[in-house]
Amino acid sequence: MEPVITVENLVQSAGKKTILNRVSFEVYRGESLGIFGTGDTGKTSLMHILAGVDKFKSGSVEVLGFNIKKTEKFKRKLGLVTQAPSLFNDLKVSENLDFIAVLKGVKKDRIPGIINQFELENYLDRPVKKLDSGVYQRLSTACALLNEPEILIADEPLRSTDIYSTRIIITELKKFIAEGGTCLWSFKSPEFFDLADRIAWLDEGQVNMLTPWRAREKWTSQVQDIYNSSGENNAQ
Amino acid sequence: MLNSYLTIMRREITYMWRDKGLRYILLLVTLLSLFLFWGTYSAQLLKDIPTAVVDLDRSNASREITDKLKTAENLKITARPGSFAELKELIKQGEVVTGVVIPEDYAKDTALGRHTRIYTVIDGSNFIYATNASTAVLSVTRTVSAEVGIQQLTGSGMQYQQAQEAYRGIQIQQEPWFNPTLNYAFFLVLGWVLNVWQQCCTLASCMIIAGETGMCSWLQIKAAGFSRLKLFTSKSVVHVITFMLLILPVYIIANWVFKIPFNDHFWLLTLFTLVFTISLHSIGALASSVARNSLDATRYGMIIALPSFVLSGYTWPLEAMPQALQVFAKVIPQTWFFQGVNYITFKNPGWEFISHYFIVLAALAAVFYTLAAAITAYRY
Repeated sequence: MEPVITVENLVQSAGKKTILNRVSFEVYRGESLGIFGTGDTGKTSLMHILAGVDKFKSGSVEVLGFNIKKTEKFKRKLGLVTQAPSLFNDLKVSENLDFIAVLKGVKKDRIPGIINQFELENYLDRPVKKLDSGVYQRLSTACALLNEPEILIADEPLRSTDIYSTRIIITELKKFIAEGGTCLWSFKSPEFFDLADRIAWLDEGQVNMLTPWRAREKWTSQVQDIYNSSGENNAQ
Repeated sequence: MLNSYLTIMRREITYMWRDKGLRYILLLVTLLSLFLFWGTYSAQLLKDIPTAVVDLDRSNASREITDKLKTAENLKITARPGSFAELKELIKQGEVVTGVVIPEDYAKDTALGRHTRIYTVIDGSNFIYATNASTAVLSVTRTVSAEVGIQQLTGSGMQYQQAQEAYRGIQIQQEPWFNPTLNYAFFLVLGWVLNVWQQCCTLASCMIIAGETGMCSWLQIKAAGFSRLKLFTSKSVVHVITFMLLILPVYIIANWVFKIPFNDHFWLLTLFTLVFTISLHSIGALASSVARNSLDATRYGMIIALPSFVLSGYTWPLEAMPQALQVFAKVIPQTWFFQGVNYITFKNPGWEFISHYFIVLAALAAVFYTLAAAITAYRY
């Protein structure tokens, strides 16, 4: 299989704290890679580096064959959903779509389709800062997919979304992958393991690549350990 | 290509318009300050300066001096205290600004040709009042002194005509140029308004980079790989146009309604202001590029904007400042602007002279924008 992302010996730190310690892995075309970690394990740092929005300390990262330290060309084929609300707060929903389309160099005739896909028709005139989190995440994902990217990097796209929005986002992510897209998405909850082909388990600055089945086993074992060490032996 | 520039510009206008605080500050403050400062200096000249006369002689000669003080254009006798102590108290309380003390035996001493002294005191706590009062009292006392001198010469046998000629020997003629009536409003109103305007503009300019990078939405711009140069150029164009739109009505009202003279150089002043606006924006962009966040950027803006008017040499000569301050003042666009404005509105300096000011402002803009771009490229 053809790798679309190649990470070698990636090191990232914040002050004296090492966040990513010589991390290496590959992501293949058409793959759904779940990035899992509990708490502050460096998921956001890793995703921001892969999306080219953060600089990194050392190592090499290639996205779609481009060395991301040397060029930004790969960004044309990339979509990013950030964990922090990063849409343009003082603009309305429709204005955000229009503006981000311009930033990405996308023709505006792409916008009606994406509005329809994410069921945003009733929110177009609303200021973004007044949206509830589910609709906000739908809009964020819609904006990330505006340029029909080859790779979608989504940092906790299902965090605090309502059931209805979760369903829409998952449907669209599955559709994106089915059409040949590569998706890297992070989450904290083990309920999403089965939506990924592989799990990149982040812990103490290291990445451990697991199958969803193995990731679930590891999770169960960790939970069991926690309960055992606290003296309660009633873990599921 | 052009579409992306226009879209960024449209968004910047939307931002400025939807930010109510910023909108009111930009739209109203400069214009209101024009009316406020014009109102403040509407008298244009200081007249009727409250004056006290302490006449300790109570003679015809001393009454003559009082009459002359009464007719002086800028003075108004509002008190006649009986002693120097009373006068001191009146000045302390702010009841009068200047006092004239005519000594005992004034008439006798002048009649006998003896040396005598008229004592004038001035409240120096307000230097504008003090300067005006001093000039007015001096012109009266000089006349009185001359008359006494003529009297003494005629007393010693000289013909009146001859004595008068002797005092006219050296005629000192004063002629203020460029502002013949020494009109305060002409000098100060435009300066103060431009100071308020440049402060608003500097603060707004300081947000151009930090205001964008400090927001989470900066991630969208970075993730899209959108050109920073294109982004900040488009935003800068909006800022410069907005700043010009704020000052143009001020110039029109100041010149056409309040009749503040522009020496028929309305368009030259407007062009000069445009070049300054670009230069001002560049120093704001530089401050913004080194700021860690919006709050820092605002602080830097205040550090630049607040002292710049005083340092510009508009109200206190640049040459009278310490050398180090002069050097510092010369790298601030405001210094060149305020001095240039003074030349254009008062002195009709000609293109050859004023073109140097245009060149310096343009050069400062080029340097500051280049530094801001380099720092921004390095940091982001």
